[in-house]
Parts: sequence; structure tokens; C-alpha cells
Amino acid sequence: MAKKVTVQSFQKELTTFIKKEVAKKYSKSFQQRIVTAFNKIRREMLAEFRNHPITVEIKNGPFAENSSGTLGGYGNLFSFIGFDEGTDPTENIEGLLSLTRIEYNREAKDGFIMTIYMPTKEEIFKDTPMPWAKGRSWAEGIERGISGFGQYLNTENIATYEDRIGSGQGVQANSVIRGGKFKNTSYISALIKKYLKRFQQINNSVVVSGIL
Amino acid sequence: MTPQYQHKLASSFMLWFDNYLLTKGQAYTNTTGLFYNYSDERLPNVYSVFGSPYKQWVSDYSVSGATIPSGVFVGNTFYGRATGANNSSAQRVLDFDNGRALISGLATGSTVTGSFAVKDFNVYYSNDTEEDILVEKKFVVNRRIATDENITYIQPYDQVVPAIYICNAAFQNKPFAFGGMNQTMTNLNAVVITENPYQLDGALSIFADSFNEVIVDVPFDNYPYTEYGDLKSGYYNYQNLKNQYINNNKYFVDKVTTSKMNDKARKSLVNDLYVGFIDFDISMMRYSRN
Repeated sequence: MAKKVTVQSFQKELTTFIKKEVAKKYSKSFQQRIVTAFNKIRREMLAEFRNHPITVEIKNGPFAENSSGTLGGYGNLFSFIGFDEGTDPTENIEGLLSLTRIEYNREAKDGFIMTIYMPTKEEIFKDTPMPWAKGRSWAEGIERGISGFGQYLNTENIATYEDRIGSGQGVQANSVIRGGKFKNTSYISALIKKYLKRFQQINNSVVVSGIL
Repeated sequence: MTPQYQHKLASSFMLWFDNYLLTKGQAYTNTTGLFYNYSDERLPNVYSVFGSPYKQWVSDYSVSGATIPSGVFVGNTFYGRATGANNSSAQRVLDFDNGRALISGLATGSTVTGSFAVKDFNVYYSNDTEEDILVEKKFVVNRRIATDENITYIQPYDQVVPAIYICNAAFQNKPFAFGGMNQTMTNLNAVVITENPYQLDGALSIFADSFNEVIVDVPFDNYPYTEYGDLKSGYYNYQNLKNQYINNNKYFVDKVTTSKMNDKARKSLVNDLYVGFIDFDISMMRYSRN
């Protein structure tokens, strides 16, 4: 039996058809615009992480100065936390932040929805273990307080540091230059919060926290 | 100064922590033994001091099965302490913290024995940093082997292991509701030091399960211990004490993270001990400006 067509139903179908066609025609450029905005914010996020005083100081290794000011200018975070020389503990965080991605998700009334996936702070904390206690996160410790026990473990690094600053005392086995009292500072949580908000401001996109 | 939030949290948390460990983990051992005389210049001269080879006896009557002493035996005579026990006297004190009896006028050569429950983990509240606790402290081990020929008392005020040190790390207020209500977030870290991995895993496991627990705010004045480490009223039951203040504002255990020190780091310690950490996030909704 033939389908009965009324003026109203015809108008409705026509409107839907036109909307779809318009969306198809322009969706590529819409998508492109969204992806461009996403890439820009993602680049800014990574740059902000790389240039964060904590990241910079840790990346500089056991000979760095306490440029972040978290130890009152004494010692450095790399030795204070107790990382092994030659490692870059910030790589894990950068790796996770780099996994932030955008995906075409589904059609919607006014075109489509893109989904942005970014890591949560918990995922980052889980992937940044303290070198001497794997269940603890050094990145979280930066924000809530961190034990200076690690400085007692890497005496080799510390002695070299002592040598470098020219104390004239020579290298003493088991000697430790004690850092100042650790001062908490904002780090990953603030970064994630800021960029979650920035990504949410991109039109036609939803942000999903968690990539793992 | 009147007791502030941090004081109240510290005392309430300590009472809860001790009770939780003792009840959930049955972390105590009932024992009987000889006490050894020694002198302690910090105490008034009237007291003769008799120390057991263990520190921190269980004093909480809500811990089922634990032997809570109310006095000691001198020869075959029971000497009750100040608070209504059989043959009691105001000049007798049980120092639960240092595991000893202080008895006025007793000859130093007397034979003193007693029964008590010793905690499997001594619990201390500490102002030291974690690194100071681990690196600078020298620990004495609570004696466990009764056949040890050198068995004697432990020096007063020495800290013994297995032990858990609770350190108050930081706290901050966040706005929570209109009208000035804040959420006060406190980080409390516990350093667990044990003789073997079994003890360590046990303590970490018990407290890993403590998230979402509610801790009743017990007023600072009602802390059950005297300056000598005895019970103020001779009787202490955490559950009863808690129920008295059940309508008080409560602390909430938001998050608990446990971790163990790895073997490489552990071997750098002076003492051959096992170390773990319990990080508590405790919160309370309160009008902090009042």
C-alpha cells in the first residue's frame, strides 16, 4: 500500500533532508575547525607541562638547582625524591598527556559530536610511582607533601652535587645534603583542571576524563 | 589555649586508629610474665618501678578477648591500682604506654608478675618527618620470645617496633556550603615499621579497607589517659566513649592509600625492618570561622 503523504509530513521530511545535506556539506569544515582548536589547546597543555617549574627542575636531573623554590633553594627535587640518575620521571606524565585525543563520535541534531579523551589526575598519579615506594605517587606528593626519605638513598648523586658546588669538603660516603622543608605546590591537578575546562569550551564536543 | 581542630582530630583519630587495628586485626597477644625493677628519674620518688618486657599494653575493654590488667601480683598478693580493683590503692599506677607498674612503697626486690595483652603494633603520634623516623630513630624490638635468657624490661620512653607512627602532614579548608561551611581536608600519614612482611601486609591491608569509615569527634578533655599512661577512670571502652558523642560532628575517611617501601630502599636502613606507608585523607564539614 502506498504511503500517505501530507503537506506536513512532506515539509518535515524535506527539512530533515536539507539539514542532513547541509550538515554533510559543512561537516568536514566544522570538524576541521574543531580539530584545529583541539590541537592548539593540546599543544598549549603539553607546553605548559614541559615549562612548569617542577617539570623543568626534575628534567634537569641530580645537578639541578632548586629553581621551583619547593626546597627553599637547597638541594633539588630530583635528589630529594630519590630518582635514579639517568632517568626522566616526567616522561610518563608527558606520555599520558600526549594520549589526549579527539574522535568523531556520532551524529547529532545540528551536525555531529566530537569526543575528547584526556587523562585524569588519578591516572597520572598511578603512573608516577615514588622510586622507593611504588604505591605512592611523586606527582601527587608535589601537591600534598612529599617525604624526603629519597635523599638518603642516592648518596652518589648528592655527593656529586656537593662536589659540583665546590664545598671543598670532598665526597663523603653516606653524606647527605639535606633539602629544605618541602613546600607543596600545585602541579598536575591544576593543569588537568585548567585544560579540562578549555577542552569543554570547544563547540560540539564532549570531554571524557580517562584514557586508560 | 583551648583545644583546636587539629588537637581534637589528633586525639579522636588516635583512639579510633588503635581500636580499629585491635578489633579488625585482633592485633594483640595475651601474655603473662615477670616485671623487672628499675629506676626512672622522671617519676616521683614514692614509686617503685616494675617494667615488663613489652610496651603498649591494650587498655580498651571493647577489644574482645584482650586481657586488660587492673593490677599486678606481688608474690601471691594481687595489688589493684587506684580505681576500685581488689586491694586497690591510690598510690598504684599501671603505665599502659610504657608497659609497667608503678607501686608506692614496694621493696625493689619484690617479685612482681602480671597478665596483660600487648599490642602487636605500638602506635605513636609523631611530629617527626617520615625521613627522621626512618633514618634517625633507633628502634627496640618488643620481645616476643619468652625463652630468651636476656629478657628484661624495655627502657622507659624508648620507642619499640613493630610500630605505627602517625604524622599530621597538612590541612586545608575548601568552601563547601552557603553560610560559611567549609570542608576541612587533613592529610595524615602513617609510617608502619615491622619485623616481617606478614605484619606489614596485615597492617596495610586492615587500613586499606578503612576508607569511608566515620570517626566520632571525642572531646579533647575526654582523652582516657593520664600523664602516667594509666586510665583516668580505671576503665576505658572505645565503643562506649564513642557512643557518648555519637551526635558530635564526625571525621570522614575520604581516601586511604597504602604502599610498601621497596627492598632496595629498605636495605639502606640501619635496622633490618620492613616499612610501609598509609596515607589518609580525612575530611570534616565544619564552620571553621566560628
